[in-house]
Order: sequence, then C-alpha cells, then structure tokens
Amino acid sequence: MEGQLSSLVITKEDIETIDELFSQYLVDSQAKDIILLNKSGELLAKSGAVTRESAIAVSALAAGVFSATNELAKLLGEREFTLTFHQGKETNIHISLVDPLILLAVIFDNKAPIGAIRFWAKKISGSIKPVLEKMATGPRQEPSQDFRKGLQDEIDNLF
Amino acid sequence: MSLIDFSKSEITFKVVYYGPAMSGKTTNLSWIFRTIPEKVKGQFTSIATETERTLFFDFLPVELGTVKGFKIRLSLYTVPGQELYKLTRKSVLKSVDGIVFVADSNRDRREDNIKNLADMFKNLEDYELPDTPIIYQLNKRDTPAIMSVGELVDDLQLKGKTVYLGIANSGVSVMECLKGITRQVVSKI
Repeated sequence: MEGQLSSLVITKEDIETIDELFSQYLVDSQAKDIILLNKSGELLAKSGAVTRESAIAVSALAAGVFSATNELAKLLGEREFTLTFHQGKETNIHISLVDPLILLAVIFDNKAPIGAIRFWAKKISGSIKPVLEKMATGPRQEPSQDFRKGLQDEIDNLF
Repeated sequence: MSLIDFSKSEITFKVVYYGPAMSGKTTNLSWIFRTIPEKVKGQFTSIATETERTLFFDFLPVELGTVKGFKIRLSLYTVPGQELYKLTRKSVLKSVDGIVFVADSNRDRREDNIKNLADMFKNLEDYELPDTPIIYQLNKRDTPAIMSVGELVDDLQLKGKTVYLGIANSGVSVMECLKGITRQVVSKI
C-alpha cells in the first residue's frame, strides 16, 4: 500500500522561509534555478530566472521522471532511488527526494562539476527539511466551512 | 493530493484522464487547450512517440478563475493507454484528486475498456485512494459499430455513476466532463 495525504497546505510563512533560503543558495551555489515540488508534480516554490509557467511544466515532468525511475528501482529490487541526474551540453538538472512527498530540482549550467552539484543539492535539501517537517506537523491552516460551501456554489461560474 | 497555497491564494487539483489506448484522452486535452482563453492556460506538454501515441503523459495546467479570493488551478494529465505502459499509468495516477475515465464506445474495444478500468481501480487501491471522484465519458459516439449506452453501462458497472456521451474530436461533452470533475474534486477539499 502506498498511502497519501488528501491535501498539502502551504502557509505564507512557509513560503517566505523557503524563498529566503533559496535566494541565498542561488547566490552561494551559482545554480540557475531551484524548484521545490511535490511527488504529484505540483510546483511549491521556485527561485531563479525560470518563469512560473516553465517551472510548472518542469515540476510535472520532474515528478514524472522521478516516479518512472522509482518503478525502475522496484523492478531492480530497490525500494526507491533517491535522486536522478540529467546532464546536457549546456544545462544539468539534479532531482532528489527531500522527504517522502517532496522533491527538489536544482538546475545548473555546464560550468558546475558534478561533485559540486551533488554537494549543493544535498546542502539545500538538508536546510529545507526542517521547514517541510514544520509544514507537515505544525498546526494546519484549513479552509473554513463557509469557504468550502462558497467554493461549491460559485464553481459553476468559472465555466 | 490537492495543494492549498495560502501564500499565493491558490488551490491546485490534479485531474487524470484515464482509459484504454486511442480512446480519446489526448483529444479531450487538445480540445480544452484549443477552447479555453490564452491567458488561463499554461504550456501543453506532450511526450509522444513517433506515431503520436502518448508515451508518458500529456500535461496541461489550467487556471479556471477566482472563487472566494482563491485562484482555482487544475493540472490535467493523460496516461498512456497501451498495455505496455502499465507502470507509467500507475505513476501518473499518484496523488490524483479526480479522474475522467474515457471509454471507447467501439464494440471491438470492449475488452480493452473493461481491462483498463480494472487496472485503474487496482492502482487506486494500491495508492489507498478508493474515494477518488471519477466521471465517465463514453467517447466516439459518432463512429459506426458502437455499443449501446446500456451495454457499456453494464460492462463497466456504471449504474448510478456520472456518465457523459462524448465525441471528443468535435468537443461534444469535453467541457462538461471538465466541469463535472471539477465540481467533484472541489467538494472533496
């Protein structure tokens, strides 16, 4: 069985903390972009020059690649592969598991050696982990009953 | 798994179009992409083989509008229908909030529909998502040699379920299905 949460709630404070960390790491690591996503392919946060539209597509594809890689792991008798790395002529992308539901994608240009990419991806993961733990265990900000009802009533107007 | 982002006042739902090979899942997404206004749709990402069959998935992010101060976003995915891509189908279904099952009404696709639906339920069971909202589109109603609606309902055990009759390549019931599944996923929040 592979259980899942019904929803992931992100607060303004969570995002501010993540944004601050990512901005600092973007400078320190010289990465081009840092993208935080969940395993279902939703973009959670991004930093760097990448547009939001592209980051949304990168998130969907990165989660897909990661998920497919894990089916491969199972076929090979591994429980899970925790990272996947793609190297191009100009750009490299490193996708790694930060916690059971969250992935980190770090994009570098070709100047960065593989060792440095792995080092920084690990370091960013380590820093972001406590924030994600707080997100998972802290008091959850939930939509109110009124909000849920209003959403139901008004959803037809969107079509 | 819906994503509620209070920092951006956004709620994102993942909707997957499931069904046997060539039943019209990508056609549904293409129609939505062509129909909705430019400013509310994102990049249409498709990973297809050389013969234009879906290899991994199609992905289309859509922003429906604002309700109660929150932007409602949908991430629409299709799965590859071919038997070969069973594991890929399962991986795309991860953390799904709602499913549109696109069945092929052609009589010679009867077994494929039944098999594919069983495969979907098995995957939902593995992910412990038995209550996922599902609506059913009986597609290709304009082709010759189709099964009657009654036969399809019996075959797929759809009595009492939400069923739409579709001709996705001319848009029949495409937006209705999208609206139907959106209503259902929103009600689960």
